[in-house]
Formats: sequence, structure tokens, C-alpha cells
Amino acid sequence: MRIQPRKQILDIWRSMLAECYRDQKWIWGGRVESNPISDAEQLLCMLYPITQIETFAVHDPDATQPDVLRALRPLGPEATKIPRTLVDVALDYFQNHTDEREEPRFAAGSYLRGMSQDAPVPQDEGLQRLEVVDGYSMSITLCLTLLAFVNDREEHETNSGQHRKLVDLRDRASRRLTAAMVGLLRSFVVNSVSPESSQGRAILEMLRQGDTTDAELAQGLKIRFDRLRAQLKTDLRLSVPEESKPEEDQLFECGWSWGIAKDAKVITEYAADSSMSSKAGIAQPRPWLYFTVSALDGIVDLNSRRIRALNIFTPEQRSLAEALALRWDLTQNYWSAVARFDPERWPLEDIPWRTSDGQESDYYSLLVVSVLIQDLIARTATDADLIKAVGIIEELARRGRITQRMTPDDAAMALHYPGVPQGLVGSEVVVGTTLALYTSDYAPLIIKRALQAAQLTDNVEAREALMNVAEAAMDHLDERRMTRDGESVELWDDVSHFPGLESLTFQGPSWYFTERVVEALVATAATYEKEPPRSSRMYDHLLRLLNEADHVYNKAMLRSNVDDRSTLRDRLGEIGQLIKRARELRRRRTSTAIALSERALRLLDALEQADEDAGRSR
Amino acid sequence: MLIFASSDKGGTGRSVTSCNLAYRLSLLGRDVAYLDFDFGSPTAGAIFEIPKMERGTPDGGLHSYILGEATEPARVDVRKMTERTSLQERPPGSGKLTLFPGDFGGAEFHLTDNHIKAAMKLFHDVEREFDVCIVDLSAGRSSALDISLNAISPRVRKKKQDKDKDRIRWLLFHRWTTQHVIAAGGLLFGDKGIVPYAMEVGFKRADFMRLVRTVRTAVPDTSAFGEKTTAEQTLWVTRSDDHLKALAKGRSLGQDLLAGTTPLEPMLLWREQVIMDLDVNRRLAKPATAQAFDKLATKVDDDEAWEGI
Repeated sequence: MRIQPRKQILDIWRSMLAECYRDQKWIWGGRVESNPISDAEQLLCMLYPITQIETFAVHDPDATQPDVLRALRPLGPEATKIPRTLVDVALDYFQNHTDEREEPRFAAGSYLRGMSQDAPVPQDEGLQRLEVVDGYSMSITLCLTLLAFVNDREEHETNSGQHRKLVDLRDRASRRLTAAMVGLLRSFVVNSVSPESSQGRAILEMLRQGDTTDAELAQGLKIRFDRLRAQLKTDLRLSVPEESKPEEDQLFECGWSWGIAKDAKVITEYAADSSMSSKAGIAQPRPWLYFTVSALDGIVDLNSRRIRALNIFTPEQRSLAEALALRWDLTQNYWSAVARFDPERWPLEDIPWRTSDGQESDYYSLLVVSVLIQDLIARTATDADLIKAVGIIEELARRGRITQRMTPDDAAMALHYPGVPQGLVGSEVVVGTTLALYTSDYAPLIIKRALQAAQLTDNVEAREALMNVAEAAMDHLDERRMTRDGESVELWDDVSHFPGLESLTFQGPSWYFTERVVEALVATAATYEKEPPRSSRMYDHLLRLLNEADHVYNKAMLRSNVDDRSTLRDRLGEIGQLIKRARELRRRRTSTAIALSERALRLLDALEQADEDAGRSR
Repeated sequence: MLIFASSDKGGTGRSVTSCNLAYRLSLLGRDVAYLDFDFGSPTAGAIFEIPKMERGTPDGGLHSYILGEATEPARVDVRKMTERTSLQERPPGSGKLTLFPGDFGGAEFHLTDNHIKAAMKLFHDVEREFDVCIVDLSAGRSSALDISLNAISPRVRKKKQDKDKDRIRWLLFHRWTTQHVIAAGGLLFGDKGIVPYAMEVGFKRADFMRLVRTVRTAVPDTSAFGEKTTAEQTLWVTRSDDHLKALAKGRSLGQDLLAGTTPLEPMLLWREQVIMDLDVNRRLAKPATAQAFDKLATKVDDDEAWEGI
């Protein structure tokens, strides 16, 4: 189906408010109990489009669009009330997820499950100590969104009591942002292993594609990784622990562990008074692909041009953003080198991707695609690389049963339900058993990546292919909507139509999933906002049409009576307008200009036919 | 409660909207007085369809009272005197609806202390008897407006002992066009506007602004183009509306200050009158019109909704 971000987001809002805003009270939690991550996702379902898409903005009551107003009516009968209610809800979020010493809480809580689906999760105090990188990066997105919202809102808020609330909200968001940035900083890890270890062998196996010889492999490792190795060893700003620094004969990985790494250094240069800077880490110090991509995405937001322009950071946050940007660069370069190690045959093309701890899944391949897309954005990858990426995304859509039918006992089912478990190695120290976070956002992620890629090319065929994948994934998501009173509503996630899962029932919306759908829709909106791609072949064609139209038109004008005031004069005027408009649009909307020129040519031909007919001799 | 109805120009629908507001407030159970201070052309009698009062009362109207020529202002029970039979009924639970007409052939006059004192006494008396008093002022900066501002100035108005809040509302009616928005902004904030004058007579700006709200009247939608609207017209209307909103905001007449919006009502294009639910049921008036008047009445009546917080 065609993706219609405006309609779909408004529908989601309506369903959402019917579900979680009753008697003027916001109800936190959905499929799982309220926790800081789920609640942030719930709030972002509303606030992300509001701050990302101009026509969804509500900060200026005089510019709020009528359909937005109608969808948000439960939040307030008037345009002035809606942003104020949202401020109250956001303040409630901070109230709920701040402890008695005013420190933000990030614990993943009800999102954590056992390594096997049904294993019980121990409900003890230790659970509150388990924070995951997702919590930090989701908080970064939420706090940046709120800071941007407060910024926009401030000049339109006239009531002094409400103004104080905005100031309070800014303080709280800013404090949480700092803590989340510190958490992210302390979760960054470098893992060095010998090539003979099992992890080392797994890395080499993924890099070695086709008939690469040992000598070629060694040469490739040197070219691709020596500079990074040197930086990890010598760059003091990275403060890599001595024992993690890669020796000459070692292989290494860098990126984000699932939480603050075991033995992570206490931070003294930023936010020294925050417990986040000093609390002991427990996560095994090796990068998880999932958490690495989650952190990379969060850091992109932090350093985006839009956020920089808003100038909302404190000096401390600015330094933190720089420290994170440094690690972002390094990690991006590392994974990009791995993904495209062999230029002839990329390891990324060898689906499914295998991680260094021996896990393999199509989901990991999709995660690595995002690294490649960042390369495309930074122009370190070419259009030819993009064409290759299109093939990979199409393949992942097939394998994930998005463009193909799901069969009973299909291995792809687990990608969507229950999702790919990210084992939190190290959590057993605290709660006695290893817990996991299940990631099931394969379908919305494919939309987001396909659309990001589509924005980067003016190759019409590649765009078409990517849009097809995105639309197929939206069809897939459409079927996974939840049902209320027998009607489908715009909330997720219900997979009881998958073969073999008919007996399952799903209660309460998953904000994890719904938020990802909203993100995908926002990404679509961003693509639509841009001017359509141009093609040079079309442009050539247009110039030919315009040339002929101009010529015939000039000739007709030359032969027409200047004193004429008849319909003929009107028609010639109309044709002149068409040609003028086509010329104006020639670069921006080439195809539209072609359509206008064609109409001009047809009208000219009709006149010419009349002319010829009059002049014919029997 | 005192509600003042002002407007930038004639023909904004100030009087007809105020009469409808009075009617709707009485339906909500409030005892309502309507004071016709439009001294140049008192028209409330016509809107309430009271014969012989189409252009004010022949003797003892508000004009004479302010001048000191009458000891008691003339008053009529609208339900008793109207010619419109459906308006004569008093629905259960509704309040009084009383018109204090202006004088037939009355004119604007000068501002004197005696006039101000007369107005103060008038307001004092009607406030004691009624829940809501609507004072319909002449268009623009008129002497009626100046007298009113002086009579409610914090310098002269005694603090009410029983209530912590003095309930005064100041409505500014304007039509939804570029020229009217600009004129309304000028009337309110211009050098010789209402706000500077209110400050001159003793208000603090912020205190006075808390009383002021706007009403956008006769706001058209695409249906104004006729039954069938072209796509271009729809787009044009939507964009023009956005531009007007931005213009209004730029003139400090944005949503923050907005009390309500009334739609363009064809019935009122032919005849200024009270729009009753009956007119909607007969499919003569648009349902949106009755709803808009009702919404405005509810908002005016509710302190919290009025503050808009």
C-alpha cells in the first residue's frame, strides 16, 4: 500500500489517545508495565512527529493544522491547551523516572526477559540496576525532542505559570540528557582477541569471502584496520583501558556493549556529581551489534545540524557530544571497513551476518546496512555501492518474509515474534540468571533504512525498488495492527495471523513497536518533503519538447492578428502560459514540465489542423 | 459579571452575536441583562424582534439615563415583549432575559464625570440584580467605550468583598478578513486604542489584557464559494486562512486571545436575529452557528475555560 504518513500518524494518535488518555489522565504502560524506555517510546509516538514534521507542529496555536487539532482534541478542546497538556505529561514522565536523590532512572525493568521465552524473570532489587544502552539512546532522543519542543513553545507561551513549567521541563530534560550521554560514553568498549580464539575465528570467517588467500586477507587487514588500531592505542581522548588495546597480532572490535561496561572507568571530567559517572558497570566488555547501532543512531541525532542550530546544549553537554562523536567516527569506520572488507564481494552480502560470538541472523545484516547508509550520507560510498545496497535490502525483505509469504515453522517468524534475543552477558552477576532484551523491529527498520537510502540517490530505478520494499513492509505492518472491538486500530503488535500462532492473544499496545512504526512514518515524510529526483534523460527530452513548442508558438504568434480579441487570442495566451510555466519548472519538476509542454504542443496542433483545413483546396 | 462588546468597525456582527450570546447564557440558567450602549444606532430591539423598539425606545432609554434625564432606565422583558412567538417561551431552567434599550434618535455625547458616575451606578445596580450584564458598545473608539472604561477602572471600582475575583470580560469582535484583522489590532493596541486608554484610566496593562478576548465573526469556509467548490478554491481558502492566522498572531490577536469563532450564517446575511435551536431543526440555520454561540456562552460563563489554562 502507498505509505501516507499524514493520515497514518493522525490515525495512530487517535487510537493512542483512545487507549492511553482517559478522564484527562495519561496512562503509562501497555503490553508491559511502565518502564523508563517504554514510557519514552510512548511519549515519542506523539512528540516525535510533532517536532520532526512541520505541519504536525502544535507549539504555535495559531499555526496548528485543523486535522491535527481534531486528532488531538482529547488533549484539549483548543489549540492553546494541547501543548500545555503535553508539557504536563512530559513532566509526569520525569516525575516517575527520577529517584529520590533527583537522579534519572534508566532501568529496563519490564523489558527484560529470560534467555528462553518462558524462563521467569527474577523480581528482585537487582533488576533496578540493569540499565541498557537502549535506555540511554531512547532518552537522548526523547530529551532532544523535548528540548526542541520547549524551545519552540517558549515564545508562544504567554501564561507565566505555564512558562515556569517549561523552564522546569527544560531543566529536567537537560539533566536526564547529560546522564544518558555519560551512560553511553561509559558503555563504549574495545574488544581485542587473538586470531586463534573462537571470537577471532568468527571475525576472520566473516571477512573471508570467496577464495581469498591468507596473504590477501592479511594484506586487507593491514590496509583496512591499521590506522584504527593505531588510534585506539594512542588517542588519549578515547581512554581505552590498557588491557583492551589491540596488539599488532590481535584482531579487535569496537562499539557499544549492552550497558556500562564492567570495569568502565569512573568519569571525572563531566557530570562528576552524577552517579552515572561513577556507578560500577557489569556488562561484558565486547560490542553488541544491536546496541552499537542503537548508540550510533542516538549520536547522529546529538550531532545533527538541526540540534546544533538550536543551541540547547550546556558546555558540559557539548564536550560530551564531542566525546561521543569521536567514538561514533571510530565505530562507524570500523564497521564500514568490516561490512565492505572485500570490495568485490562484501561480507555484508553474505547473509545472514554472523557476530563474533557466533550468533547469526538476518536482523544483524539489516543492522549493518545502517552503517553502510551512514557511509552513503557521508559520501564515502558511491552510487554503485548504493545499487548493491538496494539488492541487499531487497534480499532481506524476501528473507524476512516481507515480500514473500510466511510458511508454517518458518525460521523468519522468530525475527518478528518473539524477536531476536540480545543476551545481556554479565546480568547474571546481579540477578543470578542471564537476562535478554528481545528485538522485533525488523519490519519497521526495513522501512526506515529503505527510505533513508532512497533519499540518497537520484537513480530512479533504485528509488523505485526501495519504495516497493518500504510499501511491502507497510502492508506487512498493516496486518499486524491490533484489534479493538473487532476493528483494526493503529496500534501494534498482533501476530496471531502468522501460521501456527493463531492461539496467541495480544493485550495492550507495544510502545516499543508502535514507536518504531511512527519513526518509519516520519522517515517517509522526510523523503516526501524533498523534491522528486531528477533524471538527465528526462531533462534532455523536456528541452526538445520545449524547443519545438516555442518554435511553433512563435510562428503562430507571428501570423496572428495583434488586434484580435477573440477566443483564438485567449487560446494563444493560454499556450504561452503553459510554455512559461514549463520553463519555470524545468529543473524542479521535470516530468510536470514535460506534461505542460505536451499540452501546449497538442493545443498548437489543434490550431494548425484548423489552419490547414481552412486552406485546403477541394 | 460584566461583559463589554466592542468592535473595530460597523457591520462586524457585534450586536447580533452579543444578542445571541445573551440568549444562550439565559438558556444556561443565567439571569441576563442586555445594555444597549450603541448610542448612535441602538439595534438590539430589532434583533430581539420587539415592535416599536427597532431603533431604540422613545423615552427614558440608557442615553437619557446617562445624561441624567431619567431616574430609572427603561427596561423590557424580552420574552414578554418579543413578537417572535417561539422566543416568548421560557424553557425550563433558563434565566431572565432583560433588555435595557437605547434611546430612539440618541446620539454620541461628551465624556463628563457625571456621565461616568451614572454609568457606575447603572453597572452597580444591574450587576446586583443579574448574573450577567452584556454592554453592547458602539463601533470604534466611542464615548460609550470611554465612559465604560472609566466606570470599571480600578481607581473607582470597589473590590468586591464576597468574591476574590471581579468578573469583567472585554470582547473585541472582528470579521475574518485582512482589513478587519488589521483594524481590530489597531483599535485594541493603536496609539489611540483601547489598551492605551485603559492604562490611562488606571489599569495595569497585564491586568487589563486578562479581561480581553476576541471573537472572530462570520468566518467563511469553502462553502461560501457555492455548493460545488473547485479543488483550487479549497486550496486557496485553506492557504488564505493560514495567512490570516499568521497575520492575526502578528497583530497579537492570536489563539491566546481568542474566545470564539462564529461561522458565516446565511440567515444572518438577510436578517439579524436570534438563532434558536428551532431554526436549526427547521434546517434554516447551520448547526455550526448554534453550536458556536453555545460554545461562546459556555466559555464566557466558565472562569477556567475563559483563562484558557
